[in-house]
Amino acid sequence: MTLLSLTGIESGPWITLLDGELPSEGDSIAVPIARLLEEGVSAFATAGALGAAVPTGTSFAELEEVVRSLTFVAIEFSAFGDGRGFSLAVRLRKDMGFKGEIRAVGPVMPDQAQFLLRSGFDSVEITDESRVGAFRVSLERFNEFYQTDYMGARSIAHARHGISQ
Amino acid sequence: MYAYDKFDRSLVDIRVAEFRDQVERRVKGDLTEEEFRPIRLMNGLYLQLHAYMLRVAVPYGTMSGDQMRRLAHIARKYDKGYGHFTTRQNIQFNWPKLSETPDILAELADVEMHAIQTSGNCIRNVTSDQFAGATADEIADPRPYAELLRQWSSFHPEFSFLPRKFKFAITGADQDRAAVKWHDIGLIVRKNDAGEIGFEVIVGGGMGRTPVIGKTIREFLPEKDFLSYQEAILRVYNEQGRRDNKYKARIKILVEAMGAEEFARQVEVEWEKIKDSHIDVPQEEVARIQAFFQPPELANQDATSAVTSEFAKKNFIFASWLQNNTNAHKVQGYVNITISLKPHGGIPGDASAEQMDLVAALSDEYSQSEIRVSHEQNLILPHVALKDLPAIWADLDEAGLGTANVGLLTDMIVCPGLDYCALANARSIPIAQAITKRFDDMKRLQDIGPIKVKMSGCINACGHHHAGHIGILGVDRKGQEMYQLLLGGSGAEDATKAAILGPGFDEHGIVDALEKVVAVYLGVREDGEEFLSTYRRIGAQVFKEAVYDAA
Amino acid sequence: MAKKIKGPQMILANRLDDGRVVFFTKDGGWNSDTVFAAYGEGETLEALLVEADKSAANNLIVGTELIGATIDGDQAYPSHIKHIMQAKGPSVRADLGYQVSADWERR
Repeated sequence: MTLLSLTGIESGPWITLLDGELPSEGDSIAVPIARLLEEGVSAFATAGALGAAVPTGTSFAELEEVVRSLTFVAIEFSAFGDGRGFSLAVRLRKDMGFKGEIRAVGPVMPDQAQFLLRSGFDSVEITDESRVGAFRVSLERFNEFYQTDYMGARSIAHARHGISQ
Repeated sequence: MYAYDKFDRSLVDIRVAEFRDQVERRVKGDLTEEEFRPIRLMNGLYLQLHAYMLRVAVPYGTMSGDQMRRLAHIARKYDKGYGHFTTRQNIQFNWPKLSETPDILAELADVEMHAIQTSGNCIRNVTSDQFAGATADEIADPRPYAELLRQWSSFHPEFSFLPRKFKFAITGADQDRAAVKWHDIGLIVRKNDAGEIGFEVIVGGGMGRTPVIGKTIREFLPEKDFLSYQEAILRVYNEQGRRDNKYKARIKILVEAMGAEEFARQVEVEWEKIKDSHIDVPQEEVARIQAFFQPPELANQDATSAVTSEFAKKNFIFASWLQNNTNAHKVQGYVNITISLKPHGGIPGDASAEQMDLVAALSDEYSQSEIRVSHEQNLILPHVALKDLPAIWADLDEAGLGTANVGLLTDMIVCPGLDYCALANARSIPIAQAITKRFDDMKRLQDIGPIKVKMSGCINACGHHHAGHIGILGVDRKGQEMYQLLLGGSGAEDATKAAILGPGFDEHGIVDALEKVVAVYLGVREDGEEFLSTYRRIGAQVFKEAVYDAA
Repeated sequence: MAKKIKGPQMILANRLDDGRVVFFTKDGGWNSDTVFAAYGEGETLEALLVEADKSAANNLIVGTELIGATIDGDQAYPSHIKHIMQAKGPSVRADLGYQVSADWERR
């Protein structure tokens, strides 16, 4: 498995907690969101860095309850076609002002790299290492976009009229 | 017409390079078919019943003579010499090779065309009124807004993997020629009391196995908020649309389940957060795009043309064509011509490369090099001087394009059916051919008057049978092709779902049944009453008795 | 992709390059003409399918599908109208029906 940074921000691995498992003190841990909501953030106070493992079907309202205590979020795609993950990342950035790392986990395709980046993801967990090259190529593919991205960066429509914000 | 600048050009060029790379990776096995499938679909490439099929976008149904010539060239060089115009104002080629598709896309990019997002679970080609910018009954030309939608929705990072496909239609006219209420989002350009431009927003319409007429969730959306509001709708849909069952994944199911009011409320909540952000383009950009759609400067013409009137007196077919295939232009002495792609006995919507070349040449000479495609699968030459009609019709007629049946019974919407489509249950083209042969009499068609017959080869309803005054639906009954008859639908501003009349028929019986329905109408209609009005007045029962009791 | 259908079956797929409909042949290849098509049921069919799927793994064909067959002598023909259409090409454009087999037409 390879961790690919989309934004250039380097980050380390973390441990995804299994059911019933408790973190060792100081570990970076991703807790399944259901467990985090059930046990509360304080149950994991000993963690070095606390993150949430969030299936794409999670509603943003649930995420909003705990987001302030998180340093990272792993959005777990069930399939590459499950576009809810993109909206979740956008929500985290736009609505909740989340500044921590957002990582895509699961069967995303190299060809989705720029969509991930532009929706607010920082990194991708790539299971098939032979695909890292394709991810990198895809990430550099387009350099101008018709839409503003999640941070409101200028779009082609603005560039046409010399508007930068 | 919209013209690409360096940004638009760069995007389509890069997209072609990307697809070339993706095809190579697929052939090498670096991409699985499962992964490649959505990628090729988002580039318009299907794997159909017999071969690949490439669907090329004609954004909001407007193209130039040069673009039409390029389509003809592609038909000749990469296909089998013809193309098929669709209800989404697109054109489909039925026999391209996967390995040649990147070259086709490059040829398209060269004339500012593409196949981007003509399929896949993403925002599809935006459709519009085929007479946009040229019709007398219009508040404003809807195409600048359609172009804004095209750009905003192209490669949208958040909305490229929606629960299901997503179709916009927009009109600026009172008369709805774009079937906006039958779309995922339908937009009608409105003016408020202050004279400002805005939009009525209709959500959750659609055909398929669950036909639903869209519901208005906003009476007036100001122009400046155009895109952010669409983004709010798409976000609510992307998050909450069903993904467990593809037959329940369209936005219409979500809106029905939630209720239009609750859906509207959630959209408004979302929109409050994002309006006045940079999702909406600067006013300068709206003005820039609108400048491409300024009405052409047309020379002064008399309101009538002696040469045209004289020719009509001598030639009944031309006189019928003049009546049926032209509609009022906003400038005196001009009309918009609808070229029927429904020759009797032919394949509805098909055009040969030679026919495409002819239409391109005629557009250069007579219609400002502008051509439109209608959702009723015909071609339009807008802005044509009344005096030029005899010459144009003669050229069209010689090429098999002079059929005078627009708006009449044989001007049917027909999906490709089981002759081409992997989803179809029954053939639709042979039924259309049988019907047009049965009614191959202009005087009779003229007497029957305006009537919309729409036929689909399966429940997915690409042939809009739910919206037909008379709808025909092909079904598979134990391996046999059977056809159901529906009556009373409408795709216009009075959108209505057609109702099934009774048990289905075989391929011969359906034509007989259609003829009986027409006979009932002719027998009971009041003076000047069109078919749909008669049906609405007398109901289904009389038709039912005539069709089934006599049999 | 094995569907539960009874009786003799043949194997249909599309070629990856041009998308054309092809049938798995008795000599282990693929051909658009049903004249060469292999068929079978039970274990014979399963053995055929294993061979056919190798072509999918080699990125030569896409979408291997088992379809019901009607047997006439030692020839197999698709039974269902959809597959008959696939074997013959569009019924409305006889000039394009490149899959049409002369043998088929004699039936």
